[in-house]
Order: sequence, then structure tokens, then C-alpha cells
Amino acid sequence: MNLRKLLKMIYRVYINFKKGILDPEAEAIKRTIDSMGYKTIKNISKGKFFDIEISSSKNTLGDLEKISSDLLSNPIIENFKIIKK
Amino acid sequence: MPKKVVSIVVFPGSNCDRDLDIAVQKYMNVNTELVWHDDPNIKNQEMIFIPGGFSFGDYLRSGALATKSPAMKEVIRLSKKGVPIIGICNGFQILTECKLLDGALIDNCKRLFICKENFVKIENKNTPFTKNIHKNVVQFPIAHAQGRFYTSEDNLKRLEDNNQIVFKYSSRDGKINKSENPNGSMNNIAGIINKNKNILGLMPHPERAVNFSEDNDGISFFRGLQNLL
Repeated sequence: MNLRKLLKMIYRVYINFKKGILDPEAEAIKRTIDSMGYKTIKNISKGKFFDIEISSSKNTLGDLEKISSDLLSNPIIENFKIIKK
Repeated sequence: MPKKVVSIVVFPGSNCDRDLDIAVQKYMNVNTELVWHDDPNIKNQEMIFIPGGFSFGDYLRSGALATKSPAMKEVIRLSKKGVPIIGICNGFQILTECKLLDGALIDNCKRLFICKENFVKIENKNTPFTKNIHKNVVQFPIAHAQGRFYTSEDNLKRLEDNNQIVFKYSSRDGKINKSENPNGSMNNIAGIINKNKNILGLMPHPERAVNFSEDNDGISFFRGLQNLL
């Protein structure tokens, strides 16, 4: 890994549905996996993630939290989690 | 006396703005101004419509990106001053994403794009938007992939207690049950208002129910809105 890559500041924001909200896409994928013959798959939930590269570490987490709750996720239906890559 | 002017906010990807424009001009007897989404000024503040379509390609979530448009910031500001605001289909999705209306509109339970005529019961006729509609059940087309109304149980109770649920999917004779629920919306909800009763959002398209005869229910919907001006 080169130095430039090491110095990059990238955060990953994961978004997924809150518990109890029907996700018909995940259900359809689960049914397809069942039809492929796999017997041990109990449940599937689907989510998405954003890799966000930032240029300064000042206020980063605060800003990312705001961006995540204000735009990337809808708090009524979704949770988000931020990790440093 | 010059006609009053109502505003229709247009986003990249809106596609019901023209139908709405025609219906509003013809049946509300007003002129319209189409406001492009990046315009921070809305001159005509008698009433504001947010039309249907696929604003910003429905990227991220339906309506999510539109909430940050300069025109929507102005809509949010004006909504606090009591300006009547109506969001239809994608417009409803945008209003929920702005938090001007409760809840969220998510993938239909069967994940299909549904496009059909649907009966809708007017649950609350005591709103400025519905008090002049004579029928109890109207027929409006629906056309959406993300129309399943969802909110927390607490919020749902609050909506019910405050009589904020305005439209519900129903049978022709107004029966509300699961078989008449096209998209899996909680309690068949098709449209709601805010607590102050100046913001309405609905998934069905009244502007698509004006073309075929004088009996079309969209006509009485738009005529009924004249009392708000």
C-alpha cells in the first residue's frame, strides 16, 4: 500500500432498515436463495453503504453524523453507522 | 380583476407538472407560475404545488435529494407562515422527506410499480382541502413504486387522534380493508395533512382525473381548492 493511500481519510456510512420494516427486495432475494436449494439461510436484511473521503479531520465525525441523519438516511425508517476505513 | 397565481415547483425529473398546470388553471380559475427548483424565490405564495414524477431520478430515496433544493427551502419557510401546500405522489414523498408531513413512503409491498385507477375514501372532510368535495369516495389514478406509507405506531396514533389522515384506499363503496390496499400502506393511508392543516400530501393523482367527463373526481378536487385562495 502506498503512502498516499495510507493517508487517505475514508469513512464508511452503513444504512439499513430499522427492525420490523418489511423489505420486499430482501424477501425476494431470500426466496430466490431458498429456491437455489440452500436450506440454512434463515433471514436476510439488505442495506447500503457510502464511502466518503474527506480532506480534513476537523469536525469530521460531527459533519458525517449530520450528513447521515439529514440526507443519507431517513431516521423514520433507517439506521446508520459510521466507521473509519 | 386579474386572476390569482399559484406556484408549481418543478425539479429535474418532475413529469406531472404539465398535467397539474392544466388542471389547476382550468378548474381553479387561476394562472400558474412554474418555479424551477434552484430558484430561491417563490413570488406567488397563494398556494404551492409539488408535482409528481421522479425528482433527481429518485436517487437515494424518492424525494430525498429534492429536499435540499433552494425552492424547497423557501417552501419550508413559507409552510410555517401558513401558505397552503399540496404535494402529489413524488410531491408527497418530498414533503415527508422534508419532515413537513409525518411518515415515509417506501417500496410497495410487492415491489411492483402500480399504475391503475383506485378508489379513495375521504376520511376527513373537515380540512380546507377536502371540505368542498361532495362525494365520500373518489376515483383517482395511482402510479408509483414507493407509495407504502409507514410511520411509527406512536406517530400513527397521533395522526389518527388529530384527524390528520385525509385519504384512504378503499372499495367503490368506501370499505377499507386489506384487499383494497394496493401498496401495503399502514391502515390503507393514501394522504395526510399536517397538524396545522395547511399542508396536504397524497399519493393518488387528482390531476389525472380531469380529462374524460365533468364527473371526473379530480375536477371537484381542484374546484374545491378555490376556497383556499
